[in-house]
Amino acid sequence: MAFPQGKAVAAAWAAPVALLALWQVACLSGLFPPQVLVPPSVVAQALADMAASGELQRHVGDSLYRLLVGFAIGAGAGMVFGAALALSRLVEAVLSPLFLTLWQVPVIAFVPLMVMFLGIDEPFKIAVVAIAAFFPMALATFDGIRGVPRNWFDVAKVYRLSLLQLIRRILLPATVPAVLTGLRISLTRAWVVLVAAELLAADSGIGQMMEMGRQLFQIDVVLAGVVVSGLIGFLLDRGARWVESRATRWRTA
Amino acid sequence: MNPHPHAREDLAQAAASRGALTVSGLDKSFDIGGKPRKILDGINLNVRPGEFVSIVGASGCGKSTLLRLIAGLDTDYSGELRLDGDRIATTSLDRGIVFQDHRLFPWMTLEQNVELALLNTDTPKSRRAQIVADHIALVNLKGFEKAYPHQLSGGMAQRAAIARALVTEPKLLLLDEPLGALDALTRVHVQNELQRIWMAQRSTMVMVTHDVEEALYLGDRVIVMSPNPGRIRRIVEVDLPHPRDRRAPLLHRLKDEILAELTSGADAAESADNLVHLPSREAR
Amino acid sequence: MKDQLARWPVRLVIGLVAPLLLIFLWQWQASAHSVTFAPPVAVASALAELLRNGDLLRDTLATLQRAFTGLAIGAPLGVAAGIAMGIWKPVDRLLGPLLHALRQVPMIGWLPLIGLWFGVGEGTELIVVSMSAFFPSMLNSHAGVAQVERRYLEVGGIYRFTTLQRIRFILLPAAMPLVLTGITQALAFAWISTIGTELLTGAGSGLGVAMQTAQVQQRLDIMLVVIGVTAALGFLINQLFRRLRQSLLRWQPAQS
Repeated sequence: MAFPQGKAVAAAWAAPVALLALWQVACLSGLFPPQVLVPPSVVAQALADMAASGELQRHVGDSLYRLLVGFAIGAGAGMVFGAALALSRLVEAVLSPLFLTLWQVPVIAFVPLMVMFLGIDEPFKIAVVAIAAFFPMALATFDGIRGVPRNWFDVAKVYRLSLLQLIRRILLPATVPAVLTGLRISLTRAWVVLVAAELLAADSGIGQMMEMGRQLFQIDVVLAGVVVSGLIGFLLDRGARWVESRATRWRTA
Repeated sequence: MNPHPHAREDLAQAAASRGALTVSGLDKSFDIGGKPRKILDGINLNVRPGEFVSIVGASGCGKSTLLRLIAGLDTDYSGELRLDGDRIATTSLDRGIVFQDHRLFPWMTLEQNVELALLNTDTPKSRRAQIVADHIALVNLKGFEKAYPHQLSGGMAQRAAIARALVTEPKLLLLDEPLGALDALTRVHVQNELQRIWMAQRSTMVMVTHDVEEALYLGDRVIVMSPNPGRIRRIVEVDLPHPRDRRAPLLHRLKDEILAELTSGADAAESADNLVHLPSREAR
Repeated sequence: MKDQLARWPVRLVIGLVAPLLLIFLWQWQASAHSVTFAPPVAVASALAELLRNGDLLRDTLATLQRAFTGLAIGAPLGVAAGIAMGIWKPVDRLLGPLLHALRQVPMIGWLPLIGLWFGVGEGTELIVVSMSAFFPSMLNSHAGVAQVERRYLEVGGIYRFTTLQRIRFILLPAAMPLVLTGITQALAFAWISTIGTELLTGAGSGLGVAMQTAQVQQRLDIMLVVIGVTAALGFLINQLFRRLRQSLLRWQPAQS
């Protein structure tokens, strides 16, 4: 068993390594002037320098802090809202038209509006992340609860489950997969919107780091930002997928 | 000669003269969990041109695997598989197949599905539309040419699949539980259709089924197979002319015999193990 | 109660409660704060003003043109790449790692780098929008081809299809639903990233530029008009694509 697994790991690493090699070779070939593309070694150097000065940690830390706080608020609210919408026909009738209308607006279009009200400090960035996380989460929770097959409620009736048992034994496990998928989508959306918001207006964070790099023509810093933001996005997605597959093993097992 | 030769009769005569299938010493194994497991063991069978042969057996006796080998969908076997003397090495337009799921392409109309089978034949383009129409008429689906598969009932879709398989005028038509997914009433209806079509076409047909009654009603011979590994256990001659009457006493006698055969002997010991035990009851 | 809620006039009235409450609250707040809070009436007059002087039409057309140009570049390339990767394993091995690595970066995160290369302007915006359209098209098309059922490919084998016939009669039509899903997603992404890049570069005309300008000038009324137009357009385009999809996929059994 160890051998095929080792092989799979090697295959997974082969592509990124080959990519880095290609990038380095492309730079060494002299096809691209250094104002346009610097080799990965230079980018690595820039990252190391920024890490040594603590600048990198500050940007990444600030970005992740905003992401986590905003995500917690937005996804939490989205979950409650989605559940309320799914469970009560009255709540659905009252709020779903407004919700569906607001949902049509790209979150990024709220950015200037929020800058107007909240300025460009922390509350603004956290609010942007929260809004970005709110909508997919609310929708996923709604779909998850509404998607529980009616037959299962019949089963609950046949075995005379109490309401609490119904929620604990049927409703919660049945909605977990949809909710987890919603969390993953919320998280990755929130990250994308946060980077955009930081590009637009911030004094720190990965987005701001890239934007500053652009204004100062520091291609190595910009590329470092691209790499770091890609890496964080990748890890967030992978981590969420891992949680998802762990929590929903019963589906395929 | 008839001044207006009926296309169907020409076709019937041509088909009847060919389509001899020879299976000798056929073995087939699959790798299951790294170990080879024998699925078919020493299958010997000769199918005469124009004959209708049914194969019955419990699930897992390798009857569908045998059909896939004859179709050329799986070419990894040892032994001999020949159609009119030519070794079977891949799929061919000489051998048509109807699957349990109709496998019509959902994105094409019935007509387009049937015509697609003619894509790589040397049938002149100008005659294709007529041939397709003839075969749709043959399976009694006139008027549904422009329907998409999801608009057809299960029985209709299966008949359409039969039309598609026949349109290339294969020497040999393989039927892999073609009626397995149909409800009991539709099934009887399509069985009658199939008998009528076979009598009109007289091409060689080999049908796999788990329905003994169906096997007897349609087959000139019924091959009874046993599982683990798949072997031919018995070959039953059904000496009744077509079209047949379902109430014929011979069919019922043979049915009882075959069912007894399938549920007795070596299988009995095994099925005893498969009995569901209710421990709580037994403990009491 | 439940039967009452099933009737559409009741639903309509109840559905209007929350928005009306919001507008009321807003109007009330507006009279209290005056400066930044534009009352609904002001928004209506701003809409009339923007319609009259043609600004709104100009910005809308500019944004639509950018989004659709980006879609027209990115989506076909994405579909082609996805299908090629789905059909030919070597193409997948060659392009896959590169594309999947690039995909991890938030699309708008490319703006500084591409801005550095090509300068901040129309070209840079178009590249980012095209990229946003490219990836969803590619991923869905790839999945569409990869998920084609074996049983259909076997039918192709039975009738001796050539590679080209297999692609044309089986792989492409079978992948079509997901390809269209990809293009629909591409449209949404192109739309969002058009607004986003316009906001960030703030050059020329466009709805994003108008928002940016309104923010700088503290004109909430204009901002709300532009947001409303953005939402309405996004909704309309989506509906249009849904119709298009339904007519292209007539062969599918009706979905709920």
